[in-house]
Amino acid sequence: MNSLDFSIVVQAWPYLWSGLLFSLALTAVAFVVGLVLGTCLALVQHFELPVIGRLVRGYVALMRSIPLILVLFWFFFLVPIVLGHLSGNGRPVPIGATWTAFITFGLFEAAYYSEIIRVGLRAVNRGQFEACQALALSTFDTYRSVILPQVLRVASPIILSQTIILFQDTSLVYVLSLTDLLGAASKLAQLNGRLVEMYLVIAVVYLAISSAASQCVASLRKRYAIAGR
Amino acid sequence: MLQLAAGNKMGPSASIVTVENLEKRFGHFTALSDVNLTVAAGEKIVLCGPSGSGKSTLIRCINHIEKHDAGRIVVDGVELTGRMEDINGVRREVGMVFQSFNLFPHLSVVENCMLAPMKVRGLSRAEAHERAIGLLRKVRIHDQANKYPGQLSGGQQQRVAIARALCMQPKIMLFDEPTSALDPEMVKEVLDTMVELAKDGMTMVCVTHEMGFAREIADRVVFMDRGCIVEEADPETFFRAPRTERARDFLGQIIH
Repeated sequence: MNSLDFSIVVQAWPYLWSGLLFSLALTAVAFVVGLVLGTCLALVQHFELPVIGRLVRGYVALMRSIPLILVLFWFFFLVPIVLGHLSGNGRPVPIGATWTAFITFGLFEAAYYSEIIRVGLRAVNRGQFEACQALALSTFDTYRSVILPQVLRVASPIILSQTIILFQDTSLVYVLSLTDLLGAASKLAQLNGRLVEMYLVIAVVYLAISSAASQCVASLRKRYAIAGR
Repeated sequence: MLQLAAGNKMGPSASIVTVENLEKRFGHFTALSDVNLTVAAGEKIVLCGPSGSGKSTLIRCINHIEKHDAGRIVVDGVELTGRMEDINGVRREVGMVFQSFNLFPHLSVVENCMLAPMKVRGLSRAEAHERAIGLLRKVRIHDQANKYPGQLSGGQQQRVAIARALCMQPKIMLFDEPTSALDPEMVKEVLDTMVELAKDGMTMVCVTHEMGFAREIADRVVFMDRGCIVEEADPETFFRAPRTERARDFLGQIIH
């Protein structure tokens, strides 16, 4: 292995591509589910609802203190057993590796996004809430039209960082025998002994995608920037 | 039922705001104690007094931004009891202008003015836009309608805030130290707007230390100290011959 030979990458491209698509799909679903659910969790905490607020706080603390890989394991093995008990016949109801991955990532990321949104909510000036009250806006309109648009603008760089981490974390699905971009690359690398080429190429792919995401957020920020701020 | 409703509709001189025996505490601190005030429709009242005397708290109770602990507040025939329908019913009729403007920074000037009329009054976008531009013209800032609050000076922002409140077509306007956060050269443009509004017949309750403004438009000056109304008089009498020692001290401090 004196010289680098990238031809193997070209040959293996369809397999890598399918891995990449899986990574992107998982990232996209976990992002949408996580951000929507996370925003709801943050609002529940923000409203300081008596019982449900504590439950949510507990959920967020739990998810943030356990490694994602462990959550994936638990979900994969425990949820079928729980579902089996609930369905009455006692036999485990398998939910499959792919579903496990999508659901777990969504629930896990929701905890992280909720913390970001929660901090963002606290950063909004009290006067904004008072102006909404004075104008008789409903709570729903207050948050939808005034508060959350400001929170999302302020929090967008942190949301982006979290999403890039999410994208990189999709490689953990190997524990469920699923194949993402990194998984595909390492399988091929082991198979044909071209580890350096393979890992170089996918590093470039990760770099390209993360940079593209940063660019995308930067242009969104510019477009929706609050003028004069 | 009809007669009852008709009975609630008041003539031009009847009171539109009634505050009776109002109490407000923040923890152990008593912000308002036994405050009584009536505001007639069309009347302009200036609330003044040293800082911490409860003036802002009083007007913030009138639209229930602060919840009072005891006593009654009736606004335009609706008593504020804590029921959300009543609170929103009152807030729809009461406009408020804040010391720190509190414009929505992510919305343009015209969008700031359109939001509540569309969401609360159910106006269409076109109707809300027309109304907003009309009122922005009234406060002479319609040429900045598509700018964002952060691009305007403090005085301009405060005039937008006045227009935003007026877009809800309120029956009463509350002003909470509207010129205190402004650079001196911008105070006049905001006061001029308020004087015009007063001359249009708007019912106004203003917390302000602008005594020239009080002299010009106030029907009554209400002086507060330590959570109580200490003195009420027409501006001429109040400034020329304040009855209480505390009012004299206060006037001595603000008029150099």
